[in-house]
Amino acid sequence: MTSLTPSFCKKAALITAAAVVLSPIGAWAQTTTDKTSSNVATASAKGDRWLHVRVISTDGKGETVRVNVPLEMAEKVLPAINHDRLHDGKVKIDCAHANDVDLRALAEAIRNSKDGEYVTVQGNDNDVRVAKQSNYLIVHVLDKTKSKKQQVEIKVPMKVVDALFSAGKDELDLVAALHALSAQGDTELVSVKDQENTVRVWLDSKNVTE
Amino acid sequence: MLFLAKAALGLGGTIVLAGAYTFHEGVIRVDVDESREGGSHVHMWVPAAAVPMAMHIIPKRHFMYASEHGRDFVPLARAIVKELKKFPDAELIEVDDGTQHVRIRTHEGKLQIDETEPGQDVHLLIPLSTLEDVTSQLEANAPSA
Repeated sequence: MTSLTPSFCKKAALITAAAVVLSPIGAWAQTTTDKTSSNVATASAKGDRWLHVRVISTDGKGETVRVNVPLEMAEKVLPAINHDRLHDGKVKIDCAHANDVDLRALAEAIRNSKDGEYVTVQGNDNDVRVAKQSNYLIVHVLDKTKSKKQQVEIKVPMKVVDALFSAGKDELDLVAALHALSAQGDTELVSVKDQENTVRVWLDSKNVTE
Repeated sequence: MLFLAKAALGLGGTIVLAGAYTFHEGVIRVDVDESREGGSHVHMWVPAAAVPMAMHIIPKRHFMYASEHGRDFVPLARAIVKELKKFPDAELIEVDDGTQHVRIRTHEGKLQIDETEPGQDVHLLIPLSTLEDVTSQLEANAPSA
C-alpha cells in the first residue's frame, strides 16, 4: 500500500496536469458554442429587418428567384461597392434635372404637401397614378397594351424618399435610404405583375421567404 | 510501465490538442457528383484551419496576382462575409428554373452553396471565418493603388 502511494500520486498528478492542459480547450469550445448560440438569439431578438425580393416567372420553365438580404448588411456592404456611378453608397445621377425637372425640388415639394393625388393619367395604353398617402409616396402604373398587361405598384415611405435625396446635388444616397427603410414596419415596396412574371419586393423581420 | 503510460498520455494529449486545433474552425466540404457515364465524383473534407496556414506558405506573388484581379471584388466579399457572421441562419438566394436549382444560405456559421442540375450536383460548405481569413489576407496583400 505504501509502495503504491507515490505511483498513485504520480498518476493522479499526471492526469490532473493533462486535465488542466486540456480544460481550456473544452472551456474554449463551450464559449464558442455559447457565443454562436447567443449570437443567433441576439440577432433574432433585436429584430433585424430583411429585404426580400421574389420573382416568379410562369413562362415555359417556371423560374423562381428568391433573395433575402438583411438591411443592416446591405447598409454596410453598399459603401464597399465602387463601380461605375456607385461610390460610397451614393449613386451619381446626371438626370437630376431630367427633362427640366429638378427631382430634389420635386421630392421636397411632395414632402411639404398634404396627402393627395398628384398625377392621374388615364390613357388608352397606360394608367398612371402618383399620390402621397399616409406618409407614403405611391406610384401605380397600369400598362393596358394587350402584349403586356403589366401592373406596377410602388409604395415608398416619404422618410426613405427624403433620405434618398439627402446627399449632395445629383446624387442619391442609397445607404441613407436603406437606413431610413430599416426604421419602417413591415411593408410591401414594389409589386410588378404581368402575364408572365410576378415581382415582389418587401420588408419584414423574417429571415426566410414566405 | 509508468514511462509508457506517460508517453501514451503525452501522445494522446498531443493528438487531442492537434485535432482540436485543426478542427476548431470546422471543415470545408466539397461534394461534386456527375451522374453521366464516366462522370467524376469528388468528395473532399478539408480542415478549415488548414487554409490560413496554407496561405502563409503560398508565395506572395500569387497573392498579388489574385488580389490585383479581385481588386473590386475582394473588399466587397470581405464586407459581406463580415456582416453575414452577425446574422442568424438564412436563405440568402434561391433560384429554381425547373431543371436547375441553386441555393445559397448560411447555416451554423458556414456558407452553404448547393447547385443541382440534371447530371450534376455540387455542394459547398465553407466556414464564414475561413472566408473572412482568406479575403482579409487577399486584401492585405493587394498592391497599393
